[in-house]
Amino acid sequence: MLTLLRDLRLLRRQIALSAPDRGRSLALRHVDAGSCNGCEHELTLATNPYYDLQRFGLGVVASPRHADVLLVTGAVTTRMREPLLIAYHAMPEPRRVAALGDCALGCGLLGRQEELVGPVETILPVDARIPGCPPTPETIAKLLLQLIDGAAMG
Amino acid sequence: MSVAGTAGAYRERIAAALDEGWRFAGLHASEGGAVVRTLLVDPGGDTRLETVAIQGGVAPSIVDLAHGAAWDEREAHDLHGVGFDGHEPLRPLVDHDLDLEAWTVPVRGDGPYQVAVGPIHAGVIESGHFRFHVVGDLILHLDARLFYKHRGLERAAEGHTLDAGLAYAARACAACSITNSVAYAHACEDALGLETTPELARARTILLELERAWSHLNDIAAVCAGVGLAAGNNRFSALTEQARRLNAALTGHRFLFGSVHVGGSSLEIDAAAAQTAREELAAIDAEARSAWRELLFNASFQDRLPDVGVVATDDAVRLGAVGPSARAAGVPDDARIGAGRLAYGDFEPVLPRRAVGDVRARFEQRALELPQSLDLLASLLDRPLRPADATPGGEECKIGVGRAESPRGATSCVVERDGDRLARLRLRTGSYANWPVVAFAAAHNMLPDFPLINKSFELCYACADR
Repeated sequence: MLTLLRDLRLLRRQIALSAPDRGRSLALRHVDAGSCNGCEHELTLATNPYYDLQRFGLGVVASPRHADVLLVTGAVTTRMREPLLIAYHAMPEPRRVAALGDCALGCGLLGRQEELVGPVETILPVDARIPGCPPTPETIAKLLLQLIDGAAMG
Repeated sequence: MSVAGTAGAYRERIAAALDEGWRFAGLHASEGGAVVRTLLVDPGGDTRLETVAIQGGVAPSIVDLAHGAAWDEREAHDLHGVGFDGHEPLRPLVDHDLDLEAWTVPVRGDGPYQVAVGPIHAGVIESGHFRFHVVGDLILHLDARLFYKHRGLERAAEGHTLDAGLAYAARACAACSITNSVAYAHACEDALGLETTPELARARTILLELERAWSHLNDIAAVCAGVGLAAGNNRFSALTEQARRLNAALTGHRFLFGSVHVGGSSLEIDAAAAQTAREELAAIDAEARSAWRELLFNASFQDRLPDVGVVATDDAVRLGAVGPSARAAGVPDDARIGAGRLAYGDFEPVLPRRAVGDVRARFEQRALELPQSLDLLASLLDRPLRPADATPGGEECKIGVGRAESPRGATSCVVERDGDRLARLRLRTGSYANWPVVAFAAAHNMLPDFPLINKSFELCYACADR
């Protein structure tokens, strides 16, 4: 166990992104509205020692009640429309929505018209756009940091 | 390939094939709901399709012969309106907007109640709904209700050219994108009478094993996360990151997107890149072994794994489990065996010494298979890789079948064509085959152990929902 912790400390010292002191935080709630699972895998890695989003005050929280930002992935399917809206309305104000990945932004959507609602912005106001198929953890980290700095806030 | 036969003959042929050791590998409705086709595969990797005509909207069910056909038949009913004689009750699978009683199994007795989880989960997890029937903390039964992410990909692919159809198979799931693409390309090449070449087989085998390597590292991290062991999760997440960076270095994409094509491969790896890749693979191997040893000697972590979520050998066979989950239960099922279109040679799957099908066995199975994949990659990358085309020479036919082993199990793809257009695409992934097994494994365990049981399978929702 000690070896494991030592390795992790070493990794973090060698490779992690630099972390200027922002003194602020944002709580993120992720909703998969019909993705291919690529955005989820990259978002998960954004919390690993290479990027370590938590050090910047960015953390994924379990409930929309605790969240500042709704992070939506995937082409919104008709079946996920309702759960997505419920999650959004459960958030305290002020709240922000970030569309994560090309599908959520409506680029290159695949599927039957009857099964898809369309990009996130057809049903929710989108404040931040994180493009990519899927966006790399680095892109996710950088654009979320812009969000925390207010640069990407509408 | 047989012509549509009578109901009795169809069931007899399937029963006889199963007796001879063939396994069920998928069932789908086709020709606008006029026929049902069952795909069978023998242990050597040969495939065959049995077709039956639908009469009065009803086909004979084979769910009593092959339990693994349960989801396929329910899907064929919901998406293509086919009834199945003998499948009672035929509960909805893809259809939502129905009363609870329609899709849940009635659980009666003294004090059972239901716990509803999802479709939105607490972490960064795909969407799907689980309805647990419990008494206290004990799970009596689990109804998994997926298809919240159903995008209608198979139907949307119809009418496109075989080349354009690839995107629908590839984008079904990012984690199994290469497997789904290779299975699709194999199915198209089978239908077009194209044969593989050693260089093409090598390119695709490299891609499949790169996908397996990052995925197995991710799955080990996931089990650590499932019990809250942050150090193990972080260590193996970092290794997953290294593996994805290697993917990007070799193919230009962290998930290897865009590296598979129908009828050939344009992937090029020069001697220097191959050498660098081998060094990186060796580094990942060494670091993963060292981190794995640390996990083995963490007693409080190891205590959480045995005897949880047990799937015995007989149950794994009966339910049609595939992939590492089946092998961890002692079933040597692997689509890499006898894969004539790929460069696996005389591949044999590794089985754990203690193949008891619990969380520990499934967890250890990933650690057993990882070095095997890394070794295979090292030997496949011992020389530069050049672009290669499949060669004509085989017989052209209307229906093609392709198979490949994803990190989650055998994936089958059936392509039915009308000239150079797709008439029907059916993709049955390892996750699809294993979801009913997860529900089975959860029963008679404690509710708080479900995340751990689920992580020990680490299935995709996206490639089940399509």
